[in-house]
Amino acid sequence: MSRPLRVLHYVNQFFAGIGGEDKANHPAEIRDGAVGPGRLLANLLGDEGIVVGTVVCGDNFFQEQQEQALAVVRQALTDWTPDVVITGPAFISGRYGIACAEVARTAQEAGVPSVAGMNAENPAVPMYSQNIYIVGTGPSPASMEPALTAMARLAVKLGRGEEIGPAADEGYLPRGERRLGYRAQPGYLRAVDMLVRKLRDQPFASEVPYQPVDKVTPAPALSNLAGATIALATTGGLIRRGNPDHQPASNTRSFLRIDVADLAELSPKDFDAYHAGYYNAIAGDNPNYILPLSYVRELEAVDEIGSVHSTVYALAGVSTPVAESRRMGAEIGAELAAAGVDGCLLVAT
Amino acid sequence: MRFESKRLEMGTFPVRDVVFGDETRWADGVLTVAKDDILREVRTKEPRVEQIDLEIAKPGESVRIWPVRDVVEPRVKVSGSGVAYPGMCGRDVATVGEGRTHRLDGIGVVEVSNVVWHAGGGDLNDQFLDMSGPLAEMIPESKLINVCVVVEPDPILDVTEQNYAVHNATLLVADALARAVADLEPPEIEVFETSPTDPPLPAVVYVQCTHSPQAMSNSPKTFCVSTYGMPQLMSPWILHPNEIMDGAINGPYRTMFATSWTVANNPIVKELYARHGVDLDFRAVIAFKTEWTTQREKELMAAQAAKMAKMLGAEGAIVTWDAGGNEFMEVIYTVRALEREGIRTVFLTSEDNPAGGAPTMLEPLPEADAIVSTGYFHSLLIDELKEKLPAVNRVIGNPVKIYERSPVGSIMEVSGLEARDSTYAPHRFDDHYGWTRLSTFAY
Repeated sequence: MSRPLRVLHYVNQFFAGIGGEDKANHPAEIRDGAVGPGRLLANLLGDEGIVVGTVVCGDNFFQEQQEQALAVVRQALTDWTPDVVITGPAFISGRYGIACAEVARTAQEAGVPSVAGMNAENPAVPMYSQNIYIVGTGPSPASMEPALTAMARLAVKLGRGEEIGPAADEGYLPRGERRLGYRAQPGYLRAVDMLVRKLRDQPFASEVPYQPVDKVTPAPALSNLAGATIALATTGGLIRRGNPDHQPASNTRSFLRIDVADLAELSPKDFDAYHAGYYNAIAGDNPNYILPLSYVRELEAVDEIGSVHSTVYALAGVSTPVAESRRMGAEIGAELAAAGVDGCLLVAT
Repeated sequence: MRFESKRLEMGTFPVRDVVFGDETRWADGVLTVAKDDILREVRTKEPRVEQIDLEIAKPGESVRIWPVRDVVEPRVKVSGSGVAYPGMCGRDVATVGEGRTHRLDGIGVVEVSNVVWHAGGGDLNDQFLDMSGPLAEMIPESKLINVCVVVEPDPILDVTEQNYAVHNATLLVADALARAVADLEPPEIEVFETSPTDPPLPAVVYVQCTHSPQAMSNSPKTFCVSTYGMPQLMSPWILHPNEIMDGAINGPYRTMFATSWTVANNPIVKELYARHGVDLDFRAVIAFKTEWTTQREKELMAAQAAKMAKMLGAEGAIVTWDAGGNEFMEVIYTVRALEREGIRTVFLTSEDNPAGGAPTMLEPLPEADAIVSTGYFHSLLIDELKEKLPAVNRVIGNPVKIYERSPVGSIMEVSGLEARDSTYAPHRFDDHYGWTRLSTFAY
């Protein structure tokens, strides 16, 4: 049996028994041993850990004098040299939730693993769940014991440096990472089981919880098109004929820069379409369909637009991971901004 | 709405060994294949074939089969209308799903050919089967004894004709093998019927979405997975589950989890049958073609599929699909449309790359609240398939590789690579019907 872990606990003024809203300005202080729910925590830790000390702080004090409160936390980390820090649980309380998360984050930054506890609907969750371990709890102190049980279990694993499993198994809220693994049953069986549970109004857990996509705010419209330098970019898979640049037709990780300063149009003699997501032959016969150089040259000639930027950008927009898409988009955007381009015509297929 | 009268008996003949011999016959689990007779028959019936040979590959052997276009389970209808794998390559289109069908269990007829899918670009023929090693452990067809039809068509034909020529040759070999058990009493018989349940149970439909290559290739005839031989974009169909058991949806898409063999043995259909009368009332299969090209079409097909499910009395649905990319839209719209009709729906799918915390669904929708994940569809994200697969002792098919997965997961055209050498897995690993236990977990 390994030695008991040294645990530092954080609670607010209410759970420390100091008082309610009227005592919310109570300054941060360090106390020996377990306080309030820390006594239950100590019982639940059993031989695995000892609550060596507790930081107590009023919720308003923490909110208004956060640096001072965190200085006390850092002092406690130095004084008590804990193996793991446990904060809360804060249940649905917003100010307490943020304090628990900040203390947990501060411990983690100091190299001490930490676990916060709060309800999934706590406002601190979206702010902190990607950076710290937050154990999901019920909404109210009625669920104190199961909450502390789960927090203690995870804290012991973290304190002992053990490998941490998936969020659902360990009881923490997902940190925004997905990893491959094997489930007990094959997919077809899980699908039919999930359907039967859903039909019977029994609980079931989606293996891919809903995650909304980013919303992109469009840039303001150009006020003076006739004076604007316009760049062209395409995700239609424009390549140089023969593909000397070895651009892939899908899962692209790199984009082409093509100098079109001296070109009136894209000739099929020099260019082609290579893209795994549509019928390429028509665009291959007239590459201006996927990067409309010939058409913007017409607009340039009649001064509808100021000028066409000399470099065009091209890739095949198929199956590329979002992270890679973000990276390439940012790189292209930065180059266009540095070149003083006013607007960009991005052609998709 | 219910089609009660369909009753299908499936007679199974297990195969534990395959040998070449003088007469094609099955006895005590050993299938003897009269190679010369079969090749002669195929050449007579399919004169578009220029070269053809048969080779046997067994599980555990150091063998790579390259490239693989399809795997077919030998099946023959011994009573009831129609033929196994109806409609494909000019076969009878009579409605199947009744009477008796015999199948050879544990073997695959593998279509090995360099013929590309179509001239549209991008859809490269990069699939292969290893009979041992890490890829073999994950692919259902690698556990079969495989009779490989190494076949090339007359090069003067256009690419679509070449496709149908080599696939017809594969089906003819499968037919010749299945014929060996047409008149025998099967060791195992399973009865498939969807009679009314007592007590009444929630009605369930299975929405099976399969790819159409029509948009990619600019032709409605381009060879691919088909419904009664129809690969084109069509509005959804209602099929009796027994029609699926008889191979009404057949032909390959571009992964080893979407071959004729996997579709005819679709584990979701079998599991829904197993629960019929126990947990649910398996009402119908809605066959849904994907890769519509406009938003309107995608929304329309989704709405119509959901309407069909509602008219069938469905209270629950399972949705699967076999493709990647823009087809996701009509599929997830179908999930949403079903939910909006009050039909409780489970969606089984693979996921996109999660790097950077990005959503792994192309368009996440809150209505899709019951998703079963079969992992990531890029093989480079799967630990077992990240690194190159070991070299093999024997290659069946083309000794040279033309396409290769790049280290970042794309398909690359390469030259001068030996197929036997250490090589990457195909770029896609997409378990469309939930064969494996692979999944993802939130951390």
